[in-house]
This record gives sequence, C-alpha cells and structure tokens, in this order.
Amino acid sequence: MKSNPERIQIAKDIYLNIINEGKFKSNLLSYYFIRPLDRREVTKNTLLSLVLRRASKNYPRTIDLERKLEELYGTNLSLGINKRGERQVIRYTMEWPKNKYLDEDYDGEIIQILKEIIFNPLVEGRGFSKSYVDQEKENLRRKIENKINDKGAYARERCFEIMCKNERFGLFPLGYVEDLEDIDEVNLYQHYQEFIRTSPIEIFYVGQVDDNIISALKSHLEIRRDETISIPEDVLVGAGQTRNIVIDELDVNQGKLVMGYRAAIHHNDKLYNPLLLASDILGGGPNSKLFINVREKESLAYYIGSSTYKYKSLMLVESGIEFDDFDRTVEIINQQLEELKAGKFTDEDVAKSKKSLVTNTESIRDSLFLMSEFFFSQLISGDKRSLEEVLDDFQKVEREEIIEAAKRIKLDTIYFMRNKKEEVGVEK
Amino acid sequence: MTYKEIYNDTIDERILSTVSTQGIRIFFMPKEGYSKKYAVFSTDYGSIDNIFVPIGARDRLEVPEGIAHFLEHKLFEEEDGDVFEKFSNIGAQVNAFTSFNQTSYLFYTSNNFYTGLEYLIDFVQNPYLTDENVEKEKGIIGQEIMMYEDNPGWKVYFNLLKAMYHEHPIRIDIAGTIDSIKAISKELLYTTYETFYNPSNMVLFVIGDLDFDEIVRVVNKAEKEFDLTTGDIERIIPDEPKEVKDRLVEEKMTTSMPMFYMGFKDADTGYKGRKMIKKDIVTNIILDMLFGESTEFYNKLYEEGLIDTSFGAFYTCKESYGHSLLVGQSNEPETLHNRILDRIKLPADEVLKEDDFIRIKRKELGNFIMGMNSIEFIANNFTDLFFSGFMITDYLELLKEIKYDDIIRRFNSHFKEENLSLSIIRPL
Repeated sequence: MKSNPERIQIAKDIYLNIINEGKFKSNLLSYYFIRPLDRREVTKNTLLSLVLRRASKNYPRTIDLERKLEELYGTNLSLGINKRGERQVIRYTMEWPKNKYLDEDYDGEIIQILKEIIFNPLVEGRGFSKSYVDQEKENLRRKIENKINDKGAYARERCFEIMCKNERFGLFPLGYVEDLEDIDEVNLYQHYQEFIRTSPIEIFYVGQVDDNIISALKSHLEIRRDETISIPEDVLVGAGQTRNIVIDELDVNQGKLVMGYRAAIHHNDKLYNPLLLASDILGGGPNSKLFINVREKESLAYYIGSSTYKYKSLMLVESGIEFDDFDRTVEIINQQLEELKAGKFTDEDVAKSKKSLVTNTESIRDSLFLMSEFFFSQLISGDKRSLEEVLDDFQKVEREEIIEAAKRIKLDTIYFMRNKKEEVGVEK
Repeated sequence: MTYKEIYNDTIDERILSTVSTQGIRIFFMPKEGYSKKYAVFSTDYGSIDNIFVPIGARDRLEVPEGIAHFLEHKLFEEEDGDVFEKFSNIGAQVNAFTSFNQTSYLFYTSNNFYTGLEYLIDFVQNPYLTDENVEKEKGIIGQEIMMYEDNPGWKVYFNLLKAMYHEHPIRIDIAGTIDSIKAISKELLYTTYETFYNPSNMVLFVIGDLDFDEIVRVVNKAEKEFDLTTGDIERIIPDEPKEVKDRLVEEKMTTSMPMFYMGFKDADTGYKGRKMIKKDIVTNIILDMLFGESTEFYNKLYEEGLIDTSFGAFYTCKESYGHSLLVGQSNEPETLHNRILDRIKLPADEVLKEDDFIRIKRKELGNFIMGMNSIEFIANNFTDLFFSGFMITDYLELLKEIKYDDIIRRFNSHFKEENLSLSIIRPL
C-alpha cells in the first residue's frame, strides 16, 4: 500500500475507493454517508440507519438476513454512527473471509446484500415497516439513555455538551429521546428518500481485487440522485468566551475530571502536527508529563491523559480521582500545561512523541478497517497526502512549533462528576 | 539451534518454537508485510492462584486478594530509570494485564523490535520493590478499584461469580479490594514472584515480520540465570460444590435500566487440553443455536422489548471451573430468566436442529479465519490456549471435527435449572 486508493465516480457524488491489499484473510466493504450534524436530523439519521439494518425487500425478516450472513461464513455486518467534527457520519461495513480459504465464490452475493440493505429497504404502504420502526425507536431510546452507564464516556460527552452549547459539535451523535416522539414509519421513509438522494456517499473496498469484485462494486445503482447537500465547514472557536466550571452530583465512588481546551488550529494549518505532539508530550501516554506527575509522583489517579479532536481543534484532559483531590489535580494539570508552553520539555520528549505517533499511524496498515477509516478521514478533510507523507510530516516538526502550538491551547471548561455531598449537621 | 515448526495449510500460517537456555518456551508466528511487531511474555499465574506452596517451601501460603495484579503493576518499577520511558525512547508501547489465569506483559512497535524484546525480558525478570514504592502503588490501584466500583457492567459480572461459586477463587476481584491490598507487602510480593516468574512457568509469544534466529539470540542474551526450577507448582483450589451458591443477587447503582448476568455453572470440569477446548467450542455453538441473533427465540424477545442488541451469550472454562453466561439489559430480568428456563427444558432435538448447527459452524469457521488478520487476536488466544495445553494452529481442525451428536449430548448435561444464577443491577 504505497499510494492513495484508486477513486472512481460511479454516480453523482458517489465515489468508489479501492485499496488493493493482499496480506489479509478477509475483504472489507464500507459505505459512508455524510450529513451535517444538525439537531433537526441527527435523531432521524440514527434511527434510519438502525431500521435499515433490520430488513430489506428480499430479506423482509431480520432473522432471514442474520441466517444468510451466518451461512456466508459469518460475514460481519456492522453499523457506525459518529460525529466527525460537525458532521454526522453513518457507516455500514461488511467484512468476510476471502474465498480462497473456503473454496466457494460468494463475493458478489455479499456485495449485493449490502446494497440491498441500503438501497432496497422493506417498504409497507407509504412507509417502512411500522413494527421495525417502533422497535428501533425503543432500542435507540435505550442506547441514548445508556450514556450514563459508562461514567468516563458520559463525563466526556457532558464536557463537550457544556463547552459547545452554542455550536453544532455539542450535539450527541446518536440523537435525543425527546426528538423520537414525532418520528413515525411514514415520515422516516420520506427522510430516507432525501437521505439517499442528497447525501455525499463514499464507498471503500479494501482487499483482494479481481474483475468480478470490481464489476459488482461498480454496477449501476437504481436510485435517483438529486443535488447533494453541501456540508458546512467546521467552525473553529477560540477560547475565553464561556469559561466555566460545571459539577454534576451523582451516586458514584470515583470523581471524573474532564478539562476542555480550545486550540483553534485548523487541520490544514502548519501548527496542526505540532499540536498533536504538544498534546502527546502533555498526556499522550505513560511517559507523558501528566502521567508522571499526577499518577507516578502523587498517586492521585489510575488513569490520566489528554487527547485532541481534529476537526474542532479541541483538547481534553481526563482523569479519575478522589473527590477531595479535585483542587490538587487541577493545579498540577494547569502547572504542567504552563510548563509545556514555557518550553520545559526536552528534545528526547519530542523524539519520543514523534515515534509514538509514527507507531500508531503505521499500525493503520495492519487493519482493513483502519485503512478504510484513514482514507475516508483524509477525504473529508481535503487532505491529499498518502500515509507515507503523513508519517514524514511528523518528523519535520520543530521544537519551537510545538511551543507555539501549546501557547494556543486555552482552557474553556472544567467538568467534574462527584458524589452527592452529605448535608452538614444531619445526624446519621 | 533446533526449532520445531507447525504449519497449518488451511489458514496458511506457521508457528516456530524452541526453549531458551534458562527454560523460557518461545513461540513465533511470522506475519510478512505487517508493520506491527508484537511480543507477549506471560506467566501461568492469575488471580485464582491465591493459595500455593512457595518455591523452596513446604507449607501452603494464602496471599491477599489482588496480589497477582499488584505485582504486575510493580514490575514496571526499576531502580535505574523508568520502564515506560525506555520503551517510548524506541517508539514502542508497553502494557500488561492480569486475568483469572495469567499475567501478561506485552509491547509492540514498528521499529527497534529486538531492543524492545531485550527490555521486555529484562524488566519482567528484574523486580525492584521497596517499602515506599509498594505503599505508593496502593493509592494508584485504589483508584483503579474505585473505577471498577462505578462500572455497573463490571459489578453485575462479579456479583454473579460471587453468587455462583462458594469457594472457588474465581469469585475474588482480580484487583482485590481497598482492604485486601493493604496487607500486601514487599516480602509477600517477592515470594509470589519467585514462585510464579520462574522461566519454567512462563511463555513468550512473538508475532510479526521478524527473524526467529534473532529473537532467540536476544532472549538468550537478555534472560537472567535461575538456580531453581519451579517444576509443577502446587496450587490449591478449594473443593467447590457442584450447585450454585445463590440463585439470585441484586444491587442498585447509577444506571439507565436494569442490567443482568445469568450463569449456568458447569458441573463437568477437570479437563485440560484438547478435551477442554472441544467442550468450550461445543458449548459456545449450543449457546448460539439456543439464544443467538439467528434464532426465533432471540427475535421474539427482541420484538417484545425483553432484550435489545446488548444481549449476548458465551461460555468460558478452565480446568477447575466453567460457566455459560447470558448478559444484557432488560426491564424485566426475572421474566427473561423464566423464558430462558422454559427454553432449556425443551427436548434437545426440538431446540437444536442440525441445519442450524451446520450454519453456526460455518460462521465459527469464518470468524476464526478472519481473526487471523489481527496480531492482537492471535497473541491473546495463543497464550490462553497454550496455558490450557492446546495449540492455536490445531483449532480449526478441532472445530471441523465437531459433530451434531456432540451438541445434543452436551446440551442434556449442562443446561439445568439448578445450575443457574441470576445477578441484577437495578437503577437507583
């Protein structure tokens, strides 16, 4: 895999991207649908993708579809619903063993099933099947409410929500329970038609390439395409507007601290790679400033780390601590970030962080799924570089650029999840 | 040097093996074209080994709960410098985990692999424990334990194990408790270390685009000399009644809806190697045939809203224990429990059809082949199977051999009402 995927337009704003890769035991096919992250449709898009997964015209019962996939050597059909900056991306992926291991030819059939699920849904009257829509509404309600079960992930989402309350990025990618009420099988089907006609669609195929597979992938789709929606650029906001501290009191044993920062460095900016390195030196792993100072020196936490969010240029620092250690932990985090801005890190720290980014990026080559995700991400960010060029560019970053990027990191929101404070003076 | 080589032509993979000068068993799977190179160094020692006869001693010793995991943390401590720093200097990432049955230390990298391998052998074989650094670790592990305490998915699982088992140490929390780790001392850690980290109790597995001669050379140079051989370590597992301890256990936590774990305790234990792995595969196929997504049963419960996509069933076993688990969330866990009991009371030939068996077997076949894409999947499964006395390269042939009759026989002996426990976590 030395170059970029081969890219073929197969319909209006539908592109097929092919990566010929022989070393894996399976093939992978993904359809990505890109939508603006928007409260008016975020819940509908999620529900729609769940309903489509249930059945198609030729497999009207979910159980028939499941059995077919099992028979095709456990072909794996997965669905992803994510936000990429201020976009909502819906992904369907099929992965199946190469037929050379099993002496059967089923590639074309599998490709056909995925197309069926997406483009030939089960329709009853003027809409989708009512029972599937009702069941998936309930299923989605539960998925949204389940946020609270993973306290770390919940704290992170809360921080984004508070920090970006006036931006589309503050939306939860699965949608909202209160928005489910107005959706029914008829208006969801209407939304589907718009979704399928107007979404930019990127198809990624990674695996063994032969004429049969390519013609199955390219074969004409019997769908109408209208003018595709334009996806607005991510809005980068500088810090200082809504600086705040929010504390949620819940029945928990451990405090969850999330500190949200803004850097406002666009991913096309030359300071973008330096920002990734700055975050890595600060809290990228067990050798980072935060890990050493918060965990190893002071035993305040089991986990502490920082991560960046590409499209919105945000950075989060997350940790699980004792409730009473809040002030001390925040103080150390502030102090370590100040040190980073003051250039208190060594050339060895820089070299280590570069190597760490390189190791992580290189491992993309070892996974069909990560390859498809990487090149999709390159496409939506308008980045034409190959994986090799991305790797080379990490090496070019200078120490001074890291300091410059670090200085742009501004604290915006501190979120803390803690236990319910006991009332003072009440006897137990 | 003499190597052994095993080749499996169905999956086109080979494993080379030898023994180091000091007795470490070394296995290597070449993976040409992969960037990632991965090594995992494991001891046959986990949280269930908490009563044993220490090396050179005559009497049995019972150690505090959580000591295997504590020791795993402490091996990262060095007198001169820091283990994490050494690995990050060469662009490698290092980690470790403790399970019921094994403790594993691993690293991966795309470059400088042989240097990393030397570091791995070196840090695992050179413990550096002081009273101070043991005390310091109690704060960090204390926070790790608190993190699990807030995780309802973790709690509902361990509550079930405590309900199913009377005496067996699988009921112990892997990390111990805030109280139990207080009793851990430098001396106890050295005693367990010397017993279980003897080369004769350890295995090294390496995978990637590498050279076996060089791997063996590095290990022989890096390993420490040992005077004593542990031989067969005497481990004491208390007698465990065949019946479950409690039929029902409930707790309340911050969650969105009730979560459950149900477990059928296996009365048929005491096997190793091929026989045990066959039982494992057979039972997992049965669970898929009884409760999987392609059953009428699953689809009916899903449509009724009794289960959702979080529902799943799997079997796990080792020589001294085994259980089938059914997990998920439901508003009516007791109703679901009864429906499951109704199902297992039906005659075997009514609930387990031969064409379902054939289909599920095809799925298992495909899943295993696809698993061979992933370096992590192979490394984790290799070690787990190896400590059970089975080679991963024999897995596919064993799977192919399984007959419909095996399924019927096992169903009749394992799924019994009196073997079933139910654990529920309800929202506050």
